[in-house]
Amino acid sequence: MATTKGSGGAHAGAQFDQNDDSVVVVIGSGAGGGTMVHDLTKAGVNVVCLEAGAFFSIDDWVNNEWEAFGQMAWLDMRTTSGSWRMPRDFPNLPAWIVKAVGGTTTHWSGATPRFHDHEWKARTYYGRIDGANLLDWPVTADEMRSYYSTAEDRIGSTHTNGRAPLPANNNYFVLANGAEKLGYLYYATGPYGTNAEPYDGRPASIQDGFNFQGDKNGSKWSTLVSEIPKALATGKLDLRPNSHVVQITHDASGRADSVLYLDADGTLQRQKARVVCVAGNSIETPRLLLMSASPQFPDGLANSSGQLGRNYMRHTTGSVYAQFDRPVHMYRGETMAGLIADESRHDPDRGFAGGFYMETLSLGVPFLASFVEPGLWGPEFTSIMDSYANTAGMWIVGEDMPQETNRVTLNHAVKDQHGLPVPNVHFDDHPNDVAMRNYGYQQGQLLYESVGALSSHRTPPYPATHNLGTARMSERPEDGVTNAYGRAHDVPNLFVSDGSVFTTGAAANPTLTIVALAIRQAEHIVQSLKAQEL
Amino acid sequence: MSSTQDTERARQVLIRALQAAYPHANVPRGPYERTADKLIADAAGSAYNQAILQQGLSDLDALADGDFVGVSNAEGYKILKRIEATPFFGYVRRFTTVALYDDPETWAALGYEGSSFDKGGYLGRGFNDLDWLPEPRITEYDGPVKFVPIKTSTGA
Repeated sequence: MATTKGSGGAHAGAQFDQNDDSVVVVIGSGAGGGTMVHDLTKAGVNVVCLEAGAFFSIDDWVNNEWEAFGQMAWLDMRTTSGSWRMPRDFPNLPAWIVKAVGGTTTHWSGATPRFHDHEWKARTYYGRIDGANLLDWPVTADEMRSYYSTAEDRIGSTHTNGRAPLPANNNYFVLANGAEKLGYLYYATGPYGTNAEPYDGRPASIQDGFNFQGDKNGSKWSTLVSEIPKALATGKLDLRPNSHVVQITHDASGRADSVLYLDADGTLQRQKARVVCVAGNSIETPRLLLMSASPQFPDGLANSSGQLGRNYMRHTTGSVYAQFDRPVHMYRGETMAGLIADESRHDPDRGFAGGFYMETLSLGVPFLASFVEPGLWGPEFTSIMDSYANTAGMWIVGEDMPQETNRVTLNHAVKDQHGLPVPNVHFDDHPNDVAMRNYGYQQGQLLYESVGALSSHRTPPYPATHNLGTARMSERPEDGVTNAYGRAHDVPNLFVSDGSVFTTGAAANPTLTIVALAIRQAEHIVQSLKAQEL
Repeated sequence: MSSTQDTERARQVLIRALQAAYPHANVPRGPYERTADKLIADAAGSAYNQAILQQGLSDLDALADGDFVGVSNAEGYKILKRIEATPFFGYVRRFTTVALYDDPETWAALGYEGSSFDKGGYLGRGFNDLDWLPEPRITEYDGPVKFVPIKTSTGA
């Protein structure tokens, strides 16, 4: 057994034979994959979960930003191109996601707004926008309501279904008072996926911050602390960490029949499968399907539309960090337990389609130094850092336009540690994205000025944690990769179970919607298995 | 570096450069020294980095009439500004942005408290001790104004 990161996982689970072709194989264990694993095993389905990352427990997490980054982040080689800042600032880190059991739910902050109803029909409500590949979702807001409610209960979202709100922390004091001054009404400390009170066997928040670093208290929902252990307890889950999938194979009829993966020793293994669910996040998912090209699927598995890897979205984001003459200590407490929804409406009079949220955000000194303005140095930079204790921060997160040319492709010129072609992420901002970001910056700065900020800084987008849209759902097979259940149009027993299926991005942080869609997809798979349709 | 004497000289130039590039009134000399030492050790792992570091540091001395160690922060900044587009400075900047600010002594100087879980979080230790703004509402708005998610051109 090769040396691997992580505690090795004192996880007991089932062990299925690699030639057992009755199992469902789930690739990835984050918001989508972890939810699939949970719901399928609870329904009695045998599942093999292949997770590229290691199994860490919450005891392994560390309250140190760079150390935790080195431990958790997906750092396999990637390349970038396009006019966004990433190729200059962080050329090999387009996305800030996690490689570990639990996926990026171990890193997420916890904001859980739902989509607005109209955001399921962006093409209808926004109209035709030059350069944007807008499409209505094949799923409706009405269909999703009950799944949203179930997802909120799974996560334990505050402010929903009778759960208590989190108290105000220092950063929220500033955000909420500024919101009030600007005339915003729809602000609160949630909905938020960390317990305000003990819930589902996990304790209430101790306001320790370090949400991005896994949350050692276990108050934050993640599939690592919730869905995975519950699934293991069913005896129906064979969880295989350190298993990097390299190809999905198919039979002569075009049905997926097995998954090839590298185990912890780098040895190629084959697991047969009745159904395959891919949930590798929106860069690895299309990369895997592109690497699964075959004579029958020459452009990549499930890519007859040519849309695989395209319409990559990362949300229109930006941050405002404001300096005051009095202490804030923004890092104390829940990182993102504060949001303003007023600007999440669709109001073209602002000069752009779609909307955005303003949410509290805090970085520690190590991360703020690297991300507040990459490349900046000298007194202009150090004055920002000198004000650290008196700084308040917010994140602007809104809908970006899907564009065909924003895409994940295989870069055959660069190989990863396994010798596989790395994914290249190409991205150009759409003019709508730029207009929204600039308006968001303006409102954020006005908000902080209204409560006495001495100065404020417009921080550019970070490597993306919200990666969406590269295997989008569509009504018609020619418009997208998957149908309304996330089932590949071209391969009947292949499902995409993560944020890659997003037809459009909406303004909301995506985790709640990924979980809700996975719950719905798992229900569909269980019914189809029972009906012998899979 | 070519000799022990040169190495120590180079180290002093580097420390001065870091202080001039990242001037903080409250950060003591220790974090700058540690960052310089880590940078020198990092460069030793790559012939290219070692070469650009050595050349860059001797260039700084030359640009300061032979004594970069003796320049003020303001003078040092002006000199560094002239070479900011060089691979040498890019390497120093990228490294320092991480190393200087990953030092507990820097954290203390800037008012960041580091790890918190081992101290029980901030629940009883000031997560809500901001006293210069009123206590805000934490629940969702439930007043008379209705949220209108879509504004159409007709104002509907």
